[in-house]
Amino acid sequence: MANKSVWSDNRFWQRSATWVTGFASLLLIWLTLDTSAQIQMGTDADLKNGVQKRVPGPTVINYKITYEMSAKRGHEVPVIGEKEKFFGRDDYSEEEAGALLHLGKLGSQAKNCMDCHTLLGNGAYYAPDLTKAWLDPAWGPDGAMQALTGKNTKEEAMAEFLQHPDQYATHARMMPNLGITAEEAKGLVAFLKHMSSIDTNGFPRNFGRMQGAVNGK
Amino acid sequence: MFEPFTDVVPSFFGMLNQGPLTLTIFLHSVIVLPMVWIYFQEKKRLENEN
Amino acid sequence: MANNHLTSESKQLATWYFTFAAILFGAQLLFGLVAAIQYVMPGFLYGLLDFSIARILHINALVVWMVFAMFGSVYWLLPDETGIETIGIKIGKLIYWVFVAAIVVVVLVYLFIQVGPADPTTIWFITEGREYIEAPRWADWGIVVVALTFVANLFLTGMKGNRSGIVTVLMADMIAFAGLYLAGMFFTDNITVDQYWWWWVIHLWVEATWEVFVGSIAAYGLITMIGAHRKVVEMWLWIEVAMLFGSGILGLGHHYFWIGTPEYWWEIGALFSALEPLPLVAMFIHVLYDWGKTQGGQDERGENKSVITNKPAFTWFVLNAFGNFLGAGIWGFFHTLPQVNLYTHGTQFTSAHGHLAFFGAYATILVGMMYIAVQGTNGIKVMKHTKASLWAVSMITGGVVGMTVALTIAGYVQVLVSRAQMGATWAAYFDGQSGVWFTQAMDWRLIMGAITFLGFVFLAKDLLTTGKNPVHER
Repeated sequence: MANKSVWSDNRFWQRSATWVTGFASLLLIWLTLDTSAQIQMGTDADLKNGVQKRVPGPTVINYKITYEMSAKRGHEVPVIGEKEKFFGRDDYSEEEAGALLHLGKLGSQAKNCMDCHTLLGNGAYYAPDLTKAWLDPAWGPDGAMQALTGKNTKEEAMAEFLQHPDQYATHARMMPNLGITAEEAKGLVAFLKHMSSIDTNGFPRNFGRMQGAVNGK
Repeated sequence: MFEPFTDVVPSFFGMLNQGPLTLTIFLHSVIVLPMVWIYFQEKKRLENEN
Repeated sequence: MANNHLTSESKQLATWYFTFAAILFGAQLLFGLVAAIQYVMPGFLYGLLDFSIARILHINALVVWMVFAMFGSVYWLLPDETGIETIGIKIGKLIYWVFVAAIVVVVLVYLFIQVGPADPTTIWFITEGREYIEAPRWADWGIVVVALTFVANLFLTGMKGNRSGIVTVLMADMIAFAGLYLAGMFFTDNITVDQYWWWWVIHLWVEATWEVFVGSIAAYGLITMIGAHRKVVEMWLWIEVAMLFGSGILGLGHHYFWIGTPEYWWEIGALFSALEPLPLVAMFIHVLYDWGKTQGGQDERGENKSVITNKPAFTWFVLNAFGNFLGAGIWGFFHTLPQVNLYTHGTQFTSAHGHLAFFGAYATILVGMMYIAVQGTNGIKVMKHTKASLWAVSMITGGVVGMTVALTIAGYVQVLVSRAQMGATWAAYFDGQSGVWFTQAMDWRLIMGAITFLGFVFLAKDLLTTGKNPVHER
């Protein structure tokens, strides 16, 4: 008499499926707790004390940000440098910077940015990725956009473009006018600057290399 | 003996990352190996049914 | 659809769900065409219906028609599996109209209001601006209520009636499916945290719970359409659940490579998601094996006749088995390893994968369920192909495969030029977009999209008329 094999037994597979699903879910929850702790926004004190955070606090807009190769990590990482003026100031308090970032993040959703652009590589592919847009040479002193918009700083050029994108077309595929106000544009630029300071494990690779320098370095 | 830690913040899962695939092999093992125990339990049940 | 042959209210409700799903399927293709035209002629509808809006409608219609067809499929199979009428069907019917009304309002707002000021009222009433789940917050809560009612119908019926393996899997799967939506219903200033939870909804839907749903539906289809043996089918179903959830849940990690999350996700995401194609191969083998086995059994008994009682539905089911493996499995594996994904993330590669995977894994089997409903509604014993059903299946499949190939080629150009060579900047992006291979690929995508749409016209015609066609055995 041959015994029935466990391998063709429904109960064995049902129990295995239950175990695998349950345990993988538990592992995911554990990993989520661990990751969540690591991706909380840093504080102003962290920035002042040079504590590295994956997602720095909003006051990172007071500092110069570059994207440099890290020998230790084996890829490029955002580096937060000395103070840098943002719309003429480098002393935004945690509340002020937080409010700007809040406005910008809300704006990025209210204007459906993600349905043409990618943010952190996610979204639509009809327009350029915005992950490191703040560091894009096109907006720097040697890029075309400051002259095109008639502004002298990167942030003002970006804000001007966002308010009247249809006037500064760089391609046949034009960004439409989304009714972005001056205040919203400022918030959006703060949001972009903050996003460029997030440690994305080296994505996008070689950003801005072809122009020879990042951020006028 | 242990690989130096490269990520921004040290963590348990980062520690398990001791070279190619150590972390993922560990996770796969803890998920799949307990099925052996389920297997023998079910085998015993099937034998008792006979 | 006339429902003269339906005695079950649950099945009647299913046909309502399928009807609205088919309408939304058409809308999805229409707005997809608009977006495809805009890649070729950027001035098309500029300022009226910009790419962002066309795309929102394209992908939201996609998700919603699939959810409708999924709910419909469950209402259809519940009476067969449990042996009783679905409990709470009256509320189910009421909720259906609430759901439809909410969708219509959301679509009208997308179309005519489009964007709002940067404040929470926009998030609540116009758009949440998060890809796939743009639906404003009020609609989120509506969807939660609708989903809970649906899950309650399923649970009460499953607990009272005969709880088969298929129903058990569906109960566990649908509660996870509904629950996961909650992870996408909050606002945060932290884009990394935002994307982290957003993927909980998107990934754990399409690469975990929806796949398990497809496994259950395939199991039901094999039993009803070719008379496969239930014990065999349900054993495969449990194996598939173990493999799908075992690889799919932690496979979520392949979305956490570049969004600000720790480096350990590279390894977890890569190696778990690399196994995601395995259950899809298993499903493909399973469908073909069962088909061969039952047909062979019948041949041995000397009955020279096909075991398939619904030819068009079975065609779509077999396409599902293969398309799921090809679109979700192969095209997904293409770019799931971080070494590759560093360059392909956020390019037309993703889009190519998205098109073939959603079609292969979900559209096919749900269209198959629609045919099963047409068969049941019209009391047909053996349903045959018609000219229209054959044109529909060939043109839609050919069109989607064509679009996928075109987008894959566009993706290559983008990866090589914009990413690897030029370093991913604004200028690099447009250099890639103006390459000849890219622009030609976009022309082909549009042509193939138009073919897909024509195929849909045949499909709609066939679904509406085939029930009365005299070719079927009654």
